[in-house]
Amino acid sequence: MLIPVLIGMSIITFSIVHAIPGDPAKAILGEKATPEAVAQLKESMGLGKPLFIQYVDYVKGILSGDLGTSFITKTSVAEEIGPYLAATMELSFAAMVIAVFFGMNLGILAAWRHNTGVDYTAMVIAIIGVSVPVFWLGLMEQWVFAQDLSWLPSNGRIDARMGFEPITNFYFIDALIQGDFVAFGDAFRHIILPAVALGTIPMAYIARMTRSSMLEVMRSDYIRTVRAKGVSEFLIIYKHTLRNAFIPILTVFGLQMGLLLGGAILTETIFSWPGIGRYVYEAINNRDYPVIQSGILIIAFIFVMINLIVDLLYAWIDPRIQYGKE
Amino acid sequence: MTKTLLEIKEFKMHFHTDKGVVKAVDGIDLSVNEGEVVGLVGESGCGKSVTSLSVMGLVPTPPGKVEAGSIQLAGRDLTRLKRREWRQVRGNEVAMIFQEPMTSLNPVFTVGSQMIEAIRQHRQVGKKEARHRAGEALREVGISRDSILDEYPHQLSGGMRQRVMIAMAMVCEPKLLIADEPTTALDVTIQAQILDLMRRLNQEKGTAILMITHDLGVVAEMCSRVVVMYAGQVVEEADVNTLFSNPKHPYTAGLLRSIPQLDKRSDRLYSIPGNVPNPRQMPTGCRFAPRCEHVQSICLDREPPLFHITTGDHTSRCWLHGTEKEDVDRDSSRDVVRS
Ligand SMILES: Nc1ncnc2c1ncn2[C@@H]1O[C@H](COP(=O)(O)OP(=O)(O)OP(=O)(O)O)[C@@H](O)[C@H]1O
Ligand code: SF4
Ligand SMILES: [Mg+2]
Repeated sequence: MLIPVLIGMSIITFSIVHAIPGDPAKAILGEKATPEAVAQLKESMGLGKPLFIQYVDYVKGILSGDLGTSFITKTSVAEEIGPYLAATMELSFAAMVIAVFFGMNLGILAAWRHNTGVDYTAMVIAIIGVSVPVFWLGLMEQWVFAQDLSWLPSNGRIDARMGFEPITNFYFIDALIQGDFVAFGDAFRHIILPAVALGTIPMAYIARMTRSSMLEVMRSDYIRTVRAKGVSEFLIIYKHTLRNAFIPILTVFGLQMGLLLGGAILTETIFSWPGIGRYVYEAINNRDYPVIQSGILIIAFIFVMINLIVDLLYAWIDPRIQYGKE
Repeated sequence: MTKTLLEIKEFKMHFHTDKGVVKAVDGIDLSVNEGEVVGLVGESGCGKSVTSLSVMGLVPTPPGKVEAGSIQLAGRDLTRLKRREWRQVRGNEVAMIFQEPMTSLNPVFTVGSQMIEAIRQHRQVGKKEARHRAGEALREVGISRDSILDEYPHQLSGGMRQRVMIAMAMVCEPKLLIADEPTTALDVTIQAQILDLMRRLNQEKGTAILMITHDLGVVAEMCSRVVVMYAGQVVEEADVNTLFSNPKHPYTAGLLRSIPQLDKRSDRLYSIPGNVPNPRQMPTGCRFAPRCEHVQSICLDREPPLFHITTGDHTSRCWLHGTEKEDVDRDSSRDVVRS
């Protein structure tokens, strides 16, 4: 299943990129370039060939781990993209943790206190959460928590004055490896606002699905059986009910992670977060085809991987689901 | 001397819903002695399940609310228990099995883990010992293969699941087992096996059973005493032979007439005319009056109390078996009149 999806994705990214209006050679050389210079540059970038050949070259490249060379920096995209990718993954992971932790607990709380003030409050939060645009939330956060209250930094991954030397480019891991807890704390302070902005919408969706799914399971016969055994309310909810309510929650999670990756691009721009989103965003402005293609392809690849993991989790959670035995 | 194990007195459980108050259980008296099998019968919706769930503290409150009465288990009033104390009772002193074996086990955990949980909830034993006990409890209910401990409920048939439910209920050796229509969802041969099993457990372990059913055949086979419920109240109580040979309340008589009989061929099965009253609007007077062929004017006016029929512990809530005077003279606390 994975392979056709990836082929489809590569075709789509390739087509989208080539459908972007504007000429990369002109973009690089500027408006005043002579037609000859433009044509020559195009030739050297491989843009003179027919589209189909360009696509085949592109796929060949991907398969051998070569993501092309940036038109602008002239370095290999595969080499250049690492730190950006790490930054995006770190941010997305933080947002995901926020979304899952707060979303599920909010939903559980609402279901547990069904039809009470707690339930209504939780659901109002969720409704606001699903409808607030990422960029608006991001700007508001910056305004309130960074500008007004000066509690948290609003830009970047870490304070540049710390002179932090990354190793893997995952700053939290790097800080731990180096035993640098000051850097760890600073990276933590930096990630809070963008992660909250990015995690809010999926948090709200997860909360709503958790609530309705939990409510359904709570009414089931087998939960009554568990209660009849004298099991504590905590285990009834977190062990028996949650495990059964998990499948629809997981589905929403998978879908939301796709949107989260999309939202990452916006969030990175607002918070000057040096991730894939910003990398691709700048590449689009420069018509830097190889960077755009590879960036989008990698994001799509991550999305597919997340959904693959989700599928595997289904089978792990519910013994009735077995792949390949239908 | 038999000791009373469970004694429900004038117990009322009402549901406060948006559309009004549902008086699901409206003043019932019921007792079960140690080691006894008591049947609780009545039409759908008469409050059998609410009664049994009340004994387990499993009625959701709200919307449910205990309006009056008490439920004594071995001398302790369950209606006053705190949440923690309830957990000591459930599965330990009283256990329950349900009508739907197909949906009563958690689909995502193995049989073994669900049984081990039931054991370790009330007994301080290690996982290994608990697993051993689970295997033993399953052998008691006639499942001898140990591999079942690692199987999931969906791999088992309905009859097997009900056996597992019984094994799980019995694992802490409760004094009382409540069985809410344990065989209704099973086919006939499996039904007989499950009833056999329960009877054996009652005889061998001395577990008292409150058997809820609408099948009088089950009652005849299993129980020594029967309590008949109608619209949230007890309408007749007697030992099983008396009830079948000499039913007093017109509702009980109707129920008995509606059992299909092999020896008497008839084209149509008898059924009691009319429907159960709407639990939100009970008739004043006798609740059975709209469906009763013996209805008199007093029946529409005044609700009959439980009258003692001359012979022993036989009671009936019907004006045919007592008079208004006796009602006025009734002994102080109980709603029972001697005649
Ligand atoms: N949670 C609840 N909220 C409101 N009403 C309820 C609730 N549970 C039960 N009732 C009502 O209480 C009444 C008695 O229901 P109960 O389940 O005890 O009947 P039953 O005798 O067990 O019937 P059956 O033979 O169908 O199982 C019904 O009218 C039912 O609608
Ligand atoms: S009290 Fe009257 S209506 Fe009720 S069962 Fe007896 S005879 Fe029938
Ligand atoms: Mg019932």
